[in-house]
Amino acid sequence: MRPDDRRYATSHEWAKIDGDSVIVGITDFAVDELCNGNEGDLVYCDLPEVGRLVEAGETFGEIESVKAVSDLQAPISGEIIEINPVIEDHLQVLAEDTWGKGWMVRIKATAPNIDHMMDAATYEGHISAPH
Amino acid sequence: MQDSWRLITTWGTTPEFNMGLDEALLLEGDQPTLRLYTWSPDALSLGWFQKTSEVSGIGSASSTVRRLTGGGAIHHEGELTFSLCCPQTHPLYRGPVGPSYARIHGAVILALRQIGLPARLRGEGSLTSDDPASGMCFHHSTPLDVEWNGRKGVGSAQRRKGGRVLHHGSIKVTSTPLEGNIATFEQATESHTAQSFAPLLLDHMRQHLGLRLVPGVPSPEERERAAELGARYTTDEWVHQR
Repeated sequence: MRPDDRRYATSHEWAKIDGDSVIVGITDFAVDELCNGNEGDLVYCDLPEVGRLVEAGETFGEIESVKAVSDLQAPISGEIIEINPVIEDHLQVLAEDTWGKGWMVRIKATAPNIDHMMDAATYEGHISAPH
Repeated sequence: MQDSWRLITTWGTTPEFNMGLDEALLLEGDQPTLRLYTWSPDALSLGWFQKTSEVSGIGSASSTVRRLTGGGAIHHEGELTFSLCCPQTHPLYRGPVGPSYARIHGAVILALRQIGLPARLRGEGSLTSDDPASGMCFHHSTPLDVEWNGRKGVGSAQRRKGGRVLHHGSIKVTSTPLEGNIATFEQATESHTAQSFAPLLLDHMRQHLGLRLVPGVPSPEERERAAELGARYTTDEWVHQR
C-alpha cells in the first residue's frame, strides 16, 4: 500500500503538504514504467529553476530513461521554491526512496489544497484498472 | 478486431516538416497515426537531452535538429524513418516502456527477416557496433535494440507527454560516414530501398500488431501547426539548447 499521507495524480506524481508548502515526486509505478525495475535505466532528470511559477497540469520537468523521455506535470499551481539537489546525480534515489529522499520539487502553492488529487486507495484502483 | 490507424507516407520531406508534424501529432493528434518518411536534405538529429559537445559528428550533416525523443544522435540518410503517435493508454503502449519496444520491434524484425536479414533483439551482451563516445544512437545498444550480424540496425526512442506517446524509429538501409560499422540492408538477400521496404514493414505492422492502416494525409490544421512548430527545429537556439 502506498503512503496515505499524500495525494496522487493520474499522471503518477505524488504531492504531500509539508508545513506551508507542498513537496512533489513521482510514484513507484511511474519509476517502474520507465525502467522496468532497473533503476540504472534512468539516465537524466531535468528539474525547473527555483523561482519558476507553474500552473497545475503544466510540465515542470522531464525525466529520461534509456528508452523514453517523459514529462513531469505539476499537480498544483504555485512557485518552485526548492529542488532536490540529489536527484540529478543520483537518479536511483527515485526507486530506492520514492516517498522520502526521492522528492523532486517543493512548491509554495497558490492554494495549498491537494484534495482534488486521488488518495492512496483510489490511486491503487487507478493503476490497477484496465484503461 | 483490428485497430484503425491513419498512415501518412512522405518521401524526401524536410527536417523541419518531419519534426514539426511529429510534434503536432504528439500535442494535438486526434487519431492514432503511423508515419513513414525519409529526409531531404539529410539531417543529424540529436536526442532531447544530448549536449552538442557529446556528439562528435555535430555539423557534419546538411542540417541539424534536436528531436523531442531521447537517446543518441542519428544521421537521417539512407534510412526509413517511422513514427507512431497515439494515447499512452493504447494497448501498444500501455504499461512499462520496455515491453512497448518489444512489441514494435517484433514487427520490424519480421519484416527484416523477410529480406534475408537475421534480425533479432540484442538481449544481454554487447555489439561490435558499440562505440558510445561517438554520441550516435547506432553506436549504443540496449537489450531491446534490433541487431543483425552483431551490429545495431534500428534506432528507437520515445517521448511521453500529456498522456500521449511519440515513438521514433530509424531503419538503416545504408551506412554513412557518421554511422560506420552498423547493420544495414547491404547484407540482405534482396536489394531494397527505403521505399521498396516500406510495404513489407506495413504488412508486418498489420499482421503482427493488428493495425488496420488507412492511408491519409495531415489535415490543413496539422500542416499549419507542423509548419509553426517545425520552423524552430533547425534554429541555433533549439539545437544548441544543451
